[in-house]
Amino acid sequence: MSIMENNGGSVIAMVGKECVAIACDLRLGNQALGVSSDFQKIFPVTDRIFLGLPGLGTDVTTLKELFRFRVNMYTIKEEREIEPETFAHLVSSTLYEHRFGPYFIEPVMAGLSKTPSGGFKPFIAATDLIGCLNFAKDFVVAGTASSKLFGVAEGLWEPDLEPEDLFETISQTIMNAVDRDAYSGWGCIVHVITKDQIVTRTLKARMD
Amino acid sequence: METSFAITGKGYVIVAADTTAARSIVKMKTDEDKIKALGPHLLMAYSGEPGDTVQFAEYVERNIRLYQIRHHYSLRPSAAASWVRRSLAESLRSRHPYSVNLLLGGYDEASDEPKLYWIDYLGTMTEVPFGAHGYGSYFALSLLDRCVKKYLVISGALICHSRYHNPDATLEEGIETLKRCIDEVAKRLIVSPSKYKVKIVDKDGVREIEL
Amino acid sequence: MLSVPHQQPNLHVQQAHGPQQRHFNPYTENGGTILAIAGKDFSVIAGDTRQSEGYSIQTRYAPKVFRLTDRAVLAVNGFAADGNMFVKKVRQRLEWYRHAHAKDMPLRAIARLIQTMLYARRFFPFYVYNILGGIEEDGTGAVYSFDPVGSYEREACRAAGAAQSLVQPFLDNQASTAKFSTSRTIPLTEELRSLSFSLSAELFLSGCYPIGNQTLVSSRPTVQTNPYQSARQPRMDNAIYHKWR
Repeated sequence: MSIMENNGGSVIAMVGKECVAIACDLRLGNQALGVSSDFQKIFPVTDRIFLGLPGLGTDVTTLKELFRFRVNMYTIKEEREIEPETFAHLVSSTLYEHRFGPYFIEPVMAGLSKTPSGGFKPFIAATDLIGCLNFAKDFVVAGTASSKLFGVAEGLWEPDLEPEDLFETISQTIMNAVDRDAYSGWGCIVHVITKDQIVTRTLKARMD
Repeated sequence: METSFAITGKGYVIVAADTTAARSIVKMKTDEDKIKALGPHLLMAYSGEPGDTVQFAEYVERNIRLYQIRHHYSLRPSAAASWVRRSLAESLRSRHPYSVNLLLGGYDEASDEPKLYWIDYLGTMTEVPFGAHGYGSYFALSLLDRCVKKYLVISGALICHSRYHNPDATLEEGIETLKRCIDEVAKRLIVSPSKYKVKIVDKDGVREIEL
Repeated sequence: MLSVPHQQPNLHVQQAHGPQQRHFNPYTENGGTILAIAGKDFSVIAGDTRQSEGYSIQTRYAPKVFRLTDRAVLAVNGFAADGNMFVKKVRQRLEWYRHAHAKDMPLRAIARLIQTMLYARRFFPFYVYNILGGIEEDGTGAVYSFDPVGSYEREACRAAGAAQSLVQPFLDNQASTAKFSTSRTIPLTEELRSLSFSLSAELFLSGCYPIGNQTLVSSRPTVQTNPYQSARQPRMDNAIYHKWR
């Protein structure tokens, strides 16, 4: 009966070789009753940043809209796109503004940040519901299947995966994790971000 | 107990809601209209805390109308749904939140598509092919689900001639499916409502039908 | 050791006049994780050896994987005292069976026996999750998992205990990539057999490292050459033991 588990849903992000991947399930429920099998929890922020928002359904939509607004304001004022590191701090401070009456969301971010030499560096991060940042080097998880995602990711992930291998790894991880979680599943979406393209694939999952 | 459903079909949305107004165990009224027409192509079924429901529905109705007057055109279903959702989400963290659950069905004239949004009192919103609120949802949703599974198996090649939900069903088939939902609820729910009001929205606008 | 609210005497007495109420909690949770994988003609049963209570470690070497017969191994996780007692009672029943029938009890019969023994205590259960691994009469590898009151099922793989939620979906994955997710066994080849050993070893060394050390037991008589062979008295591989000691 926790607020964080009211609607269910999970997100995971992983680092690869000059690429990152982020994936979520598609379920939206009301406690044990499934309502929708097409509720995406990952949203594009810029051409190279994706944001995953697992948690309370209403706050998923509210925060999606809020971050769209704040990133647009940043882009207009700075006359450039926001960098992933900066965006992570934007997410963190936005959540901390509501320290004593929080949004019930644990955001996960994935993106490619620019290096001084003109290349791109994979970036992932996650925060808790009041904005405590976690910059991980390998993978980050959140949502009702988080412990399951940790277990499988710990077993399957390895450093410097190529985009196609990273896709396979993150897909296997999320599918096997959500299949053991009653509050997640009903389909998955995976985004793989490389320097010159974003590949988005929908995974057909168990419906039971 | 209060129950409302809505289903989409080929070019239309059917919205149905029971007509009872109850206080505790007493039926006070059996011809209450719980579906408002918010515009020429937009329907909203509302249920929840008595008092909140009508208050919130009229607030939404007036604001959608205001937009129409100011801009000389009405909001598209997706935009209207977003505005309504935000109102509920802001209300949730206010001192006196509204406890109102909604089904917003509309016909998008710009894209020629029927649209249906499921919204609960928290401000949770999702677009659905069919949706329901109240105890009836436990029966109606599983019944309507039958076809989605069938659909996956058949996968387009054959026309899904199912008695359950089909996004390409004709209006007649859609009404038949709705009747099945109502009959199922009448059969299995102890506190089932006796009467429903049914409204349809399509390219010709909004109208009420008798079952 | 049992945890009792407000420590010291094992009985907590409220200092008040009138009727007195006594609290005694007969159970505790001793942590740890166990797992088992079924193959075509073998099974692997593993468990860590740490025994803890709350944040304290009681010992780093209290195995919870026990050999029952030449073809059956039982892993017990939960309340250690109940677990040890339960294994003792199962072994006693198996000995009686040997005296009566002059042979070891078959695996599926042991599974049913365990159900009966657990359900006999339906209203004061052994607070233990059991996983039984071994070889069936027809030579296939098998894993049976139980809840504390005896519900059981034969499965391809199972994890239980503190890290169940981390390990189980990973095992599901390894079973399904072998394309046998619907089957109750994973017909592993010779190479995969050793892989499943290292798999369970890895799980304890990487994934579940903080939980403790490992004991690996195979019920397959032919794996006597394996470094983890000593089933009768499970001992740790020294290299691994020293690594984490």
